[in-house]
Amino acid sequence: MYQYTEFDRQFVHQRAAQFRDQLERNLAGKLPEDDFRALRLQNGWYVQRHAPMLRVAVPYGELSAKQLRVLGAIAAKYDRGYGHFTTRQNLQYNWIPLVQAADVMDALAAVDMHGIQTSGNCIRNITSDALAGIAPDEVVDPRPYAELLRQWSTLHPEFAFLPRKFKIAITGATEDRAAIAWHDIGLQLQRNEAGEVGFKVLVGGGMGRTPIIGTEIRAFLPWQQILVFIEAVVRVYNRFGRRDNAYKARIKILVKAEGQKFIDAVNAEFTDILENDVAGTAHILPQAEFDRVAKSFVLPAGVAAVAEAPGAAFDAPKAYARWLERNVHAHKLAGYRAVTLSLKRSGQAPGDATADQMIEAAAIAERFSHGELRVTHDQNLLLPWVRETDLHALWQAARDASFATPNIGLLTDMIACPGGDFCALANARSIPIAEEITQRFAEIDELYDIGNIDLHISGCINSCGHHHSGHIGILGVDKDGKEWYQISLGGSDGSTISGTSVPGKVIGPSFAADEVADVIESVIETYRGQRAANELFIDTVKRVGLDPFKSSANAVRRSTATSRVESTQAA
Amino acid sequence: MKFINLQKDPWRTLGGEDGPAAYIDPRPHLLLTVEQWHAFRAQWPEGMPVGVMLANDAEVKEIAADLPRLALVQLSFPKWIDGRAYSQAHTLRMRYRYAGEVRATGEALVDMVLLMARTGFDSVVLRADQSLDAAHRALTFFPGYYQGGTEDPLPLFAKPPGTGDALARAQDEFMHAGASI
Repeated sequence: MYQYTEFDRQFVHQRAAQFRDQLERNLAGKLPEDDFRALRLQNGWYVQRHAPMLRVAVPYGELSAKQLRVLGAIAAKYDRGYGHFTTRQNLQYNWIPLVQAADVMDALAAVDMHGIQTSGNCIRNITSDALAGIAPDEVVDPRPYAELLRQWSTLHPEFAFLPRKFKIAITGATEDRAAIAWHDIGLQLQRNEAGEVGFKVLVGGGMGRTPIIGTEIRAFLPWQQILVFIEAVVRVYNRFGRRDNAYKARIKILVKAEGQKFIDAVNAEFTDILENDVAGTAHILPQAEFDRVAKSFVLPAGVAAVAEAPGAAFDAPKAYARWLERNVHAHKLAGYRAVTLSLKRSGQAPGDATADQMIEAAAIAERFSHGELRVTHDQNLLLPWVRETDLHALWQAARDASFATPNIGLLTDMIACPGGDFCALANARSIPIAEEITQRFAEIDELYDIGNIDLHISGCINSCGHHHSGHIGILGVDKDGKEWYQISLGGSDGSTISGTSVPGKVIGPSFAADEVADVIESVIETYRGQRAANELFIDTVKRVGLDPFKSSANAVRRSTATSRVESTQAA
Repeated sequence: MKFINLQKDPWRTLGGEDGPAAYIDPRPHLLLTVEQWHAFRAQWPEGMPVGVMLANDAEVKEIAADLPRLALVQLSFPKWIDGRAYSQAHTLRMRYRYAGEVRATGEALVDMVLLMARTGFDSVVLRADQSLDAAHRALTFFPGYYQGGTEDPLPLFAKPPGTGDALARAQDEFMHAGASI
């Protein structure tokens, strides 16, 4: 993990001090809510349905056991005893009173954590591959670059008030586990024939009301130039992005509207910075700075490839075999594995962890993974440095702490936003839908039979639950003050099994809340009826199209049966 | 950062309508729209201080050739969360090497002054309800910055090794001395 310097540490403490000053002025009535809002947002503080929500940054998903323990302690002391891990690898609290906000920021700063730019119309916390630095298919470790981008974007004075939020994702592997094409900027590290490192740069991807896949703007940008190039992109966006309509303010709309003109403007700006600006080359990254940052991202002390020594054969329970199959992943080092601690189980919302669970996960990470964890884009925790010989002991510890559900990549390993139970933006609830589906598919044999599938649930069109990129997407919508759910099929996050990134297609008019689980079940039954041997859900959808799924979904309508007839007639 | 007291400020707009004036009687410290300036720049006496107000959706390029003659460029924040003027100020300083005064107006709040100072503004007309104390304090929180700004274009990584930690220690001493707080 990146090791904070004295400067980094002081910076975060001072950010907390700055926030305390702003909060105190607000509480004293000297800083009106309208003027305070954007300031608290840029520190991760929203005002939600019941209380403020705090989003804590976990830069590119890397977390130490020490940090996680403090996150758990904060949940216990200030919140109602739990937190929620998000698709952007962050952690959210839902119940902390605003008057305690500054104390929480100080507690976070004590372990090098903060909420800087986890919200607001600025460059957000940068996300990456949860297997960064350990994946066998990795070409270049993205973490040093992610850290360099984090530092550069932190409190960037020119880009704090953009037209809308701005998200950057970075990967260095052949398999895209960071959904980069769905981001405002997607970066893929690669090596050219000479072995030099550079970025493929995508720009203008995004979800929301208008799902758009990013456009390639550079095939190979030398890594040294990345800060300057992103400065050019963001400056063009800051100048020309729309500010008259929040739904049209993301860079994707500008890229789509302007096309080549946008690309030309960015390239002209990039050239101008380098050739005409005062100190225009000052942000070209020198090798020495890369090396300084990269030296934090080395193997933990004592970790080295070991000759693979399969454990002595023993009569392992089936549950252990399944856990090995689903929750344990290949590692670049012989003798090591990456292990997912599943945060998807009945009775808790997807991605939620209690204070005790966080503290247990920290202890497990210390015992089995050199005190390191990752937050995954799929809202689980992952242990990056597990010895193969420790797997059985880890399984027992994970099982005792409720982290061993062997469902990674399966239907119940769903992505879901907090939805209308917490979020003021949401049109509908996500958690009860997720819970009903989890209970409906509790039978593990059935889950295995269904196989790999991405189910994504968003409580509103802001798409925090990434419904567009789910093989099955569920979107909460509001009509006449009631909750309805739109179901889409065939979306892809860009992973190998999902295929080229693409938004899913809606299968018909919205369903009522009490129909959703039935629809999912009927869609799954249709897949099982239609699938060829060894065919994944997504491949069946691509092969047979939406019609068979539409018919079976419509067949389970009850309260929406009438609206179906109306819409059929309208069509 | 200069905090402008409008009572004592010499700069005056033409008053009345913003459109092209039929005639402008040149006098020092007149603050003109781009349109007015373009109409009268040929007659403007050399050396007489003049300023231009640039709307936040205008291109800095429009006034680039005139910058050596302008003593003041005034940029605006119609809403404080509209950050276009930060890019304009940065471009004025870094691309066009403008050395005159760059002033912020509009919804200028104390919590923006740090961003202003780092993007090239050197004066600001704060919104009337703002506290000058809070504005001064807002400039002092951080030991330094990661990225370069107009006031100091070198990013932290381009400075001599040890600079960051030295800044952190200096900030620490400053905080413990209780200075300015």
